[in-house]
Amino acid sequence: MVKMVIGAKKIAEMAENIASKEMGKSHSLWADAFRRFFKNKASVTSLIVLILIVIFAFGAPYISKWNNEEIDWAILGSINELGRPSLANGHYFGTDDLGRDLFVRVAQGTQISLLVGFVGALIAVIVGTLYGAIAGYFGGKIDSFMMRLVDILMSIPYMFVLILLLVVFGRSIFMLFVGLGLISWLDMSRIVRGQTMVLKNKEFIEAAIAGGANHFTIIARHIIPNLLGVVIVYASLLVPGMILAESFISFLGLGVQEPNTSWGALISDGAKTVLHGRLWQLLIPLAFFVAGLFSFFFIGDGLRDALDPKDR
Amino acid sequence: MFRFILRRIAIAIPTMLILIIISFVLIKSAPGGPFTSERPLPEQVLANIEAKYGLDKPYHQQLIDYIVGIVTRGDFGPSFRYKDRTVNDVIAQGFPVTLTYGFWSFIVAVSVGVSLGIIAAIFHNSWIDYFAVGISIGAQVLPNFVMAPILVIIFTLWLNWLPGGGWHGGQWQYIIMPVIALSTSYMASIARIMRSSMLEVLNSNFIRTAKAKGLSWRRIIFKHALKPALLPVITYLGPAFVGMITGSVVIDMYFSTGGIGREFVNSALNRDYSVIMGITILFGFLTISFNLLVDILYAWIDPKIRY
Amino acid sequence: MKSVMKILTAALVGTTFLVAPTFAAKVPEGVKLAEDQTFTYRALDEHSSIDPQIVEDVSGSDIIRDLFEGLLNQDANGNLIPGVAESWEASNGNLTYTFKLRKNAKWSNGDPVTAHDFVYAWRRLADPETASPYSWYIELMSLENAKEVLAGEKDPSELGVSAPDDYTLVVNLTAPLPYFAAMTTHASTFPTPQKIIEKYGKEWTKPENIVSNGAYVLTEHVPNERLVRERNPLYWNDAETVIEKVTVLVINDDNTALTRYFAGELDRTEIPSGEYPRLKEEYPDQALSFPRLCSYYYTFNLSDSGPEAFKDKRVRQALSYALDRNIITEQVLKGGQFPAYTFTPAATANFTPPDVEYAKMTQAERDAKAKELMEAAGYNADNPLKFELLYNTSEGHKKIATVAAQMWKQKLGVEATLANQEWKVFLETRSKQDFELARSGWCGDYNEASTFLDLMTTPSGYNDGKFSNAEIDKLMQDARTAADPNANYTKVEEIMAEEMPIIPVYHYTAVFMLDPGLVDSWPVNNVEQNWYSRDLYRVEK
Repeated sequence: MVKMVIGAKKIAEMAENIASKEMGKSHSLWADAFRRFFKNKASVTSLIVLILIVIFAFGAPYISKWNNEEIDWAILGSINELGRPSLANGHYFGTDDLGRDLFVRVAQGTQISLLVGFVGALIAVIVGTLYGAIAGYFGGKIDSFMMRLVDILMSIPYMFVLILLLVVFGRSIFMLFVGLGLISWLDMSRIVRGQTMVLKNKEFIEAAIAGGANHFTIIARHIIPNLLGVVIVYASLLVPGMILAESFISFLGLGVQEPNTSWGALISDGAKTVLHGRLWQLLIPLAFFVAGLFSFFFIGDGLRDALDPKDR
Repeated sequence: MFRFILRRIAIAIPTMLILIIISFVLIKSAPGGPFTSERPLPEQVLANIEAKYGLDKPYHQQLIDYIVGIVTRGDFGPSFRYKDRTVNDVIAQGFPVTLTYGFWSFIVAVSVGVSLGIIAAIFHNSWIDYFAVGISIGAQVLPNFVMAPILVIIFTLWLNWLPGGGWHGGQWQYIIMPVIALSTSYMASIARIMRSSMLEVLNSNFIRTAKAKGLSWRRIIFKHALKPALLPVITYLGPAFVGMITGSVVIDMYFSTGGIGREFVNSALNRDYSVIMGITILFGFLTISFNLLVDILYAWIDPKIRY
Repeated sequence: MKSVMKILTAALVGTTFLVAPTFAAKVPEGVKLAEDQTFTYRALDEHSSIDPQIVEDVSGSDIIRDLFEGLLNQDANGNLIPGVAESWEASNGNLTYTFKLRKNAKWSNGDPVTAHDFVYAWRRLADPETASPYSWYIELMSLENAKEVLAGEKDPSELGVSAPDDYTLVVNLTAPLPYFAAMTTHASTFPTPQKIIEKYGKEWTKPENIVSNGAYVLTEHVPNERLVRERNPLYWNDAETVIEKVTVLVINDDNTALTRYFAGELDRTEIPSGEYPRLKEEYPDQALSFPRLCSYYYTFNLSDSGPEAFKDKRVRQALSYALDRNIITEQVLKGGQFPAYTFTPAATANFTPPDVEYAKMTQAERDAKAKELMEAAGYNADNPLKFELLYNTSEGHKKIATVAAQMWKQKLGVEATLANQEWKVFLETRSKQDFELARSGWCGDYNEASTFLDLMTTPSGYNDGKFSNAEIDKLMQDARTAADPNANYTKVEEIMAEEMPIIPVYHYTAVFMLDPGLVDSWPVNNVEQNWYSRDLYRVEK
């Protein structure tokens, strides 16, 4: 899911490029990156769209007179006729099959999907960075053991294991985070390890070792800050991957619990109504989903271009 | 190279073992069993059934028996839900189906994706390029569980061109929609990867030299640029393969193809222990072999890589 | 003395039911049959087996009723009609049943069907070796030694079933079941061919091996995709079979199935919940809805692990009263379902639902009463009742639970949290009384009120709420031997309306699209929906 966005090779190349520049130490490089990012029209537009989506997700519940679980009894029973998007009855996006307001439900679903995306990516970042940095820094047997373990885990059909996890432990948003996070850190750890191995031989690290700093100080103070660039880029591309994975889980009926919803849950409910003339139930959440994912992709691309010092 | 392959095979064995143990532990710790039903079985009946399937033995013994059965006899055990079939039957029946539409999806995704990427790169920044990029991003984010029902409505209900589902031994008209639904998003990803790597290669020095030498663009693309530009696509094939396996769940569900994707989800829900294990092992094995294949292919195309 | 004599005579003579010969597929005169006599229907999931003694699901039983034939069948109205047995007789105060078999019944390999085939099949069902998930059915039928055989304490040959000659089957029971004959329409009791099973083992149900005695023979089976059965020329009543070929297609998704129905690939498919009125309007001759023998209800956990609040019957009544069943049936499900105020569906044979008080009130009155009861029980805005409503993962259950929770919230200020679990986990949780209020559903095993009401007795294994009421236990015990058990059933329902151990929600209907040519012959009045393809015919439309 994640690699569909970027080739692993590209990331690895970029990691090399970044490592050679010692980004963590130089503020002007970050400023440069910012400038470059904001020059990229597609990324900036995407960023704006994303901000609008976030504002909608958290603002919509305050504008609407409905909440995400209230049933409009006047509409229930004749959704096809009365449940369409309408300004008059306050259902700006129409209602779902139970007469619940879609405007608010889409907003609430957006919150969950974004949350899943960010938390899943965050888990990947934390676990992947630490794991990769430790393996790369210590090298030798520790490294080869840790990386073999990653190889093994990568060969596991993860979506199936995730399905098993959700079936076994029951569905909860927490389990979803754990499941998605567990899987997503693997790629991250490989990239980070590669970069750490390059960094390890740099003079400033050798200087720190000579200065008597202990290993963990070195990892925390010197290695990790230098990984930031690649980690940020990779994480920004992980977010849409997580959202896509969640939508698949929701389609299987193993996603979040009612009355909460998510993009995936709304879309898979909506897809069932295509035959029955309630297209807005599919199209509206789908539009948000597509717009959201587009934005993440372009932002990720933009970040990569901005942070990759190769072209300088 | 040979040592590299040997080493990968050596890793594959513990990997499979870990996979078996993880899925065994997970599924055994799930509440409910294969014989939990709305009408709870009398204790005696349940005991009879469990004794018949060896479920009354301690867990570690069951696991050992299971592994021994696979290694010595290639026997994945009986299915608990389909009482007159074994796991081997279930897999033998469903896997060829999954493999068939999976194979065609893979071919379509790679060939169409690569061509689209090349075209977009050649006509960089023209409307063709924008069109190709637009389509591929759109296709990439459109979930296949939305696409499948829409395809059925268009091709079966409106146009009446294709049957709405079934398999019929894999006749071509039954394969088309599953392949479209399964391959589209991977085709789109491949097109994007191909486009950007092709652009990069086309801007590199050696291609510039070739252009300066006055070689035809056809020759430049196919003789010089294609091979290096394909590398990122090849790295992507592994994840694409895993993604397609996952996607087969949706395909089986919407197109009633009878493959093993849906069977996996069903068996997890039904606690059909042996079927879950069998399919997990099969998919694990496929993933490992496929990744190995991809790595070999990669090494073959890019001789700089050393293992 | 006189009365004693009477009983003795009755016991000796027994009761004989003689039945006029009946025919399959009685095509009314003047009906023009269609050229194409095939029938293709949709199944949600692959059946678990087509071995009569192993099968446990409805889709498998539908197939088995075509491939095999038991002692008795049901007609379009659910009445008993002869199958392999031509007549049957109860004697010894309903403790012995004797079936006379027809001599012209044949297996599809030409062998005659004899009483020994039934003896073999029934012993096989009980045998622990077979490990049938439906072996409890033989115990439910109260056959002599059934319990002991199941437990492995006695040999299957000691089971209370025997064949004095090739065409007589004698069954001895441990309890005088008045409805025993009706139980032989169940697929588990159908005969199976000993020679074939012993020859092929588990493989015997494969199309190339199977030998069966029904109106159809299995010709093709692709698991998870299709199963085809074709007319059996050796079937004793083949002359009156009309449908030539029956195909079942496995289609997991309701809407895909409906699309394929519209594309002409299917003759029958279920209508997704809520879509019936629209389809009925558009296709008045194809959209069907008719009562089934099933009840949908919420169970209170009344065991020690259940919430304290539910032990107060006013709380239970309030929740039941405040649930607007009409909204659920008319605006959510919209498939002609019946609002339920009793557990037993009104469609049950010989059962008269009592005039329970709260069914007669208007919803406004019920709501007012509910508020009153809730107040009296000590729950109000400051001290709201809170509980968890558990249901198994499914679109339909989710809808009903959501609507119910909202009703309780708005009318009574009750805070019901929804929790769903995947099926197997749900069953485990519910059977361990690890819930507060749980969704439940029950379909009758046979067409008699006791199949429902037995659930409310203290010893019932399906009484997940652990409701216990001495009076109900006694009434149900007495009903077993009563001349008219239905008076007892009505009384039990009255007690339940007062005690409210469950909240009845609605009684099911079967809601599906059926090809207009088949509508005339579909047995809509058979509430158990035991349909036989040989009774169907396709009319030229």
